[in-house]
Amino acid sequence: MTRWVVLACAAFLALPLAAQSVRGRLEGRIPSAAIPAVDSLIQFASQEGLPTEPLIQKALEGGAKHVAGPRIIAAVQMSLGQLRDARDLLVRAGDQPPVLPAEMTTVAWALRRGLPAPVVERVVAALARPPRAAAMHAVADLVAHRFDPDSAAELIIEAVRDGVPQERLLDVSTGVLQQVQRGHTRAEALAIVRRELPNLPARSKPTRGNVAGARRPASPAPP
Amino acid sequence: MNVIDPRIHQALDGELALEAVPAELRRTVARLAAAADLLAAPLPGPATSLESRVMAEIRRPAPSRARRVMRWLVTPHAIILRVRPAWSVAFAAVVAALTLFTAGQEGPELAEHEGIAQFVGRFPEAQSVHAVGTFNDWRPGSIALEDQDHDGVWRATVVLPAGTYEYMFVVDGERWVPDHLAERLVADDFGRENSIVIVRPARR
Repeated sequence: MTRWVVLACAAFLALPLAAQSVRGRLEGRIPSAAIPAVDSLIQFASQEGLPTEPLIQKALEGGAKHVAGPRIIAAVQMSLGQLRDARDLLVRAGDQPPVLPAEMTTVAWALRRGLPAPVVERVVAALARPPRAAAMHAVADLVAHRFDPDSAAELIIEAVRDGVPQERLLDVSTGVLQQVQRGHTRAEALAIVRRELPNLPARSKPTRGNVAGARRPASPAPP
Repeated sequence: MNVIDPRIHQALDGELALEAVPAELRRTVARLAAAADLLAAPLPGPATSLESRVMAEIRRPAPSRARRVMRWLVTPHAIILRVRPAWSVAFAAVVAALTLFTAGQEGPELAEHEGIAQFVGRFPEAQSVHAVGTFNDWRPGSIALEDQDHDGVWRATVVLPAGTYEYMFVVDGERWVPDHLAERLVADDFGRENSIVIVRPARR
C-alpha cells in the first residue's frame, strides 16, 4: 500500500516537471501560438503511455523548417495518430500491454517507411523484441527497392531464425540489393542470399581515418 | 737562373768596397744588403721556437671542466656509424609499422552503443552546409560539413548514439535539402522528404 502511495506521489510530482521541460524545449523553437496545442498533444501521448520524444522532434523539426504553427500542430497530431496505430498493431500482433515506447516508435517508423500493416504485424508476431527494429528496417529497405513485402519479410524472419544477429540484419538486405546490382532478378537475389544464410559478407567497419576525423555534435539527442 | 755579377757577391761579402763597384751595380748591391739586414734582424715578440712553444703550453693553467665540455661541444667530431643492413631494414620496418598502425588513432573513444555516421553531399556553390536532424534536436549549427579540397563535395563524420535518425542538409543557412545519397527517405509531413541514417554500434 505504502509503495503505491509513494509511486502515486512521485508520478504526481514528475508529470508537471516533465511538462515544464517539454515546454522549455519548445519555447523559442516553434511559434509561441502553437506551443499550447503541441504541449497538450504531448500530454495526451504521455497519459496514454505513448512515447513523447517523436512528437517533440516533429514539433522542433517544423519550427526549424519555419513551418507555420497550424501545420506543426497538424504534423504532431499525425505523429500521435501513427503512434496510436503502432500501439494497436503491436497489441493485435500479440504484444502484451503496456507496450514499450521503443517498440511503438519502431513500428511507427516501419509504417511511415511504407511497410504494409499486415507485413509489420507478421514481423512483430514472428520475432522477439530485440531484433525487431533492425528487422523492420531491413524489410523496409527491400520494400523501398520494390521487393515484394511478404517475400522480404520472409527472408528477414528466416535470417533471424538462422541465427543472424540483429546488428547484421541490415547486411542481409544489403546483400540482396548487391545481388540485384550484379544482374540477378529480385526473386533470384532473395534466393541466393537465403541459400547463404546465416553466412554474410564481412561487414565494413569504420576506418581508422574516419574514427579519427569523427567528432561529436554539440548536443546530441537520444534517438 | 739569372747569373749574378761576381762583383755584387764580392761587395756583399765585404771583399770589394762599394765605391769600387760600378755605378750600375751599386743600386742592386744596396737593395740586397738591405734585404740581408732584414733577414738577420731578430723577430719581435716572445721566442717562437718549438721548444719554447711546447714549454709555454705546458705551463699554461689547465682549463676548467665546464670550459672543456664547452670546447668538446663546439668542436667538430667525426662519428663512425657501423650498421648491419639486415638490422637497419628491420628497424625501418618496425618504425613504419608503428607509424601506420598508430596513425589516426587519436580520434574520439567510442562507447559501446555509439557508432559513426558519415554525411556527404555535393553542393558546388555552397558557402556552408550543416546536417540537421533528430540527432541534434533539429538545431542548425552543431554538425557542420566541410569541403576541405574545394571540390564542392561536403563531408562530416560524426559520433552518434546507435539508433535511427531523420535529417536534412541546410545549405547556406536557409535551403533545406534531403541527402540525395541516402538510401532511406521518409515523408516529413511538411511536404518534403527527410533522409534516414541508421547508426550501428561500431564496437560489435
